[in-house]
Amino acid sequence: MKSSRTLGLVMIAPAAVMIILFFLMPVVLTAVFSMTNMTTATGISGGVYQIAPNSLIALKSAMPEIAAEMAEPRYTIDEAGLTAVEGLGMAPGIVAELRAKHTGEVFPARRDVERMIKDLADRPSTREVKQISEQFNRSVLNTRFDSREQLFSALDSLGFKLTPEQQEIVAKTTYTGWTWTTENFSRMASSPDMARVLFNTVLYVALVLTLFNVGYALLLAIWTHYMPPMPASIFRGIWLLPRITPVVIYVLLWKWLAWDSGFISILMGKFGYLPKNYLLDTAYNAWFFVVLINGFIGASMGMLVFSSAMKAIPKSQFYASEVDGASRWQQIRYIILPQMRWPILFVTCYQTLSLLASFNEILLATNGGPGNATEVWALAAYHTALRNYAGNLEYGLGAAMALVLVVIGVTLSLLYLRVFNYGTLVAKPLIED
Amino acid sequence: MTILPTLKSLAIAAAILASSSAIALAKDVHISVWAGGTGPNDVYRLDAIEIAAQQLQREAALKGEDLKITVEKKPYSAWEDFKQALTLAAEAKTAPNIVVSGHEDIAPWSQAGLIVPIEDYVDLDSWPLSDIYENLLKIASYNGTVYGIPQDAESRPMFFWKPYMKAIGYSDADLDALPQSVQDGKYTMKNLLEDAKKMQDKGLVQPGYGFYPRTSNGPDYWQFYTSFGGTMEEGGKLVFDKAAMTRTYQFFADAVKSGVTKKNHIGMPGDQWWKEVATGKAGIWDGGTWHYARLVNQEGLKDFFGNVIFTLIPAGEGGKANTLTHPLVYLLTAGHDQEDTEIAAQLVKIASEPRTNALHAVKSAHLGISKSESTVDFYSADRWTREATERLLPHANAMPNNSDFGKYWNIMWKNLEASWTGAKTVDAAVGDAESELKSTLGDKIVIR
Repeated sequence: MKSSRTLGLVMIAPAAVMIILFFLMPVVLTAVFSMTNMTTATGISGGVYQIAPNSLIALKSAMPEIAAEMAEPRYTIDEAGLTAVEGLGMAPGIVAELRAKHTGEVFPARRDVERMIKDLADRPSTREVKQISEQFNRSVLNTRFDSREQLFSALDSLGFKLTPEQQEIVAKTTYTGWTWTTENFSRMASSPDMARVLFNTVLYVALVLTLFNVGYALLLAIWTHYMPPMPASIFRGIWLLPRITPVVIYVLLWKWLAWDSGFISILMGKFGYLPKNYLLDTAYNAWFFVVLINGFIGASMGMLVFSSAMKAIPKSQFYASEVDGASRWQQIRYIILPQMRWPILFVTCYQTLSLLASFNEILLATNGGPGNATEVWALAAYHTALRNYAGNLEYGLGAAMALVLVVIGVTLSLLYLRVFNYGTLVAKPLIED
Repeated sequence: MTILPTLKSLAIAAAILASSSAIALAKDVHISVWAGGTGPNDVYRLDAIEIAAQQLQREAALKGEDLKITVEKKPYSAWEDFKQALTLAAEAKTAPNIVVSGHEDIAPWSQAGLIVPIEDYVDLDSWPLSDIYENLLKIASYNGTVYGIPQDAESRPMFFWKPYMKAIGYSDADLDALPQSVQDGKYTMKNLLEDAKKMQDKGLVQPGYGFYPRTSNGPDYWQFYTSFGGTMEEGGKLVFDKAAMTRTYQFFADAVKSGVTKKNHIGMPGDQWWKEVATGKAGIWDGGTWHYARLVNQEGLKDFFGNVIFTLIPAGEGGKANTLTHPLVYLLTAGHDQEDTEIAAQLVKIASEPRTNALHAVKSAHLGISKSESTVDFYSADRWTREATERLLPHANAMPNNSDFGKYWNIMWKNLEASWTGAKTVDAAVGDAESELKSTLGDKIVIR
């Protein structure tokens, strides 16, 4: 008994590893990233401490005198520097000339000191010039320090005696990496555009789900149910085409249909209408096409599920109803629909969740336009985290947006299970008790 | 039987010795270079590095070194894909040695440690780097450090279809004087909308084709903001000028309202736009200097100067005529072997020599990066590069190198698009932009 239990654990281990790695980890990582202000500029792996002119702007208001002093780049030709240059093992004439002619000189910028070095009699190579100038650098400006300790020991050696409070401010303003924050959520809550995107998402899911994924799919299933088997199969096969066509090609076909030089424009041109981009002409048009494009893809799955469910209804029920003189509508209403409860539950639940997360068709068709009219939540999260023209990817905010989707998805799943009474569905048959 | 293993080990030892001495003599270096926004006219962004590699190998040979450089080139036609790929590759420590990207990437990429300052590897005082326009080199710097070497310069003029301008009453002399008139602020954005309307009313162009701007997000739209008196950055802090932004948004809303620009213009297929401006379907439009190459090479516009006149972006209310230069820069990425990075830097330096850079400038209709490039006959003999350099470059502004500019840009663009398409009123769009900027950037942006 014991060994079989261990064996069971061993057998389940690969599945557990897969679940943790590919299902749980992405969600956990999304949650972790969502609590950060991570962007392209902060990097993902972590930051360093750098006293740069841009960080000094922030420091200036808190401690103007120290900030001004830190802003001073200084290159001083001193004995410490000269000894260090000696250690580099270059031509001895270089150090001798530097010591004899330039000891005590202070240069405000690196290019100035390097110009002086290049003028030495034994002209060093560019690489050597850079190495020499670095030995005389008596400033922390623009140097990157991997840790707080390194930064403060460098500052200390340059004579900056900072109190712990001042150190805290300096560390905060000079850190280049990401920090923990809940700002992403407050930004989402306060942004009028986010409210609009949320509304778009609800509209998109509701329209595609009710009109196509469930409504039209049911209609197709009923139509084919009453057809002879052969045409019904052909018909179902045709309706599967949008699902099996590569999405880029499928959307491109829609674009050819709807843009300025496309089929609709050419056709309407015959009636004297000027060509226009029907796809992006107005927000209504864009929505019309977005719903159609996604609807025709999504309807096929519901159609298959509903068709097979209808096939499972005993034929005798239909024969009996025909004998009783029931019309087609009465058959649909009193025989088919009542027995379709569970397939409808499954399709509604599954399609809601997949619609919530889907955006590739919208990305390819309208890219969220016109004027962000068709920007849905998943697309907005993608735009924010992974794609924008300016190249400043906001990973933290994007993750927070993705997390909202996860929360909505989980909540909806639980709600569906409750409404459709999942407990009854999976209850043990009474006969086995 | 016993001699065989000894022979075997001797042979192996000899082989190891031979191979290691070969390594010591010959140095194989693999340099990868990626370039964003690179179409068929821009191949010299990458090819120039290959040409430079030839030169550096010859120089090494003279010094007795057997240097062999293999250059791996990767062009990206779009910007979004490129920036996503580069950022993620750099985070994963698999970035190419050299990157050609917009100068605005210097701030975020250097802060994140994805790129290293090129001034650590090259002598800026020596030719050809010492000859590069000072303002371009400044644009390639951040925090007072030179991170990149300008790969090209450009500007984004306003284009007018000459035959239609004549048809609405401009004489040849008027047209010749138009660039100066725009520069002096006598011909303004208001005149532009009026002329676009006249072209439509006369039936020269279809409704919505009078003013036919860029169809997607891009640096061009900051020119309009400058034109209406806006400032992008001041003293290291970003600036959101509400009044100027309102006028900018209003300009596009008015263009749509008066019917000279299409409400659904943004997002239209790029190929269609190119064909339309090249065949005179549009009256007035804006675009980059490199549009010349595309119009002439790919779109079949043979008599460019006979059909098109170009000017600065006219002044709007409260602003001045301007144009924007958006130099691409050669950047060195972090995380590579120090010697490889040094060779990469040398290649960038050689690729920046006037004659090599002129190949790119002339083929792609971009502008030169250095003073002596205009003295290269091949460059100055080209009418487009010569005229565009003289007339536009002195008036060119640039976007700020600020690590938060990307966020500002996204918010600005999103609301411009919304007011353009009527999804929001102009006031609502400016208000939304303001509140989002406040919550996103806090005191890093000055709102006035």
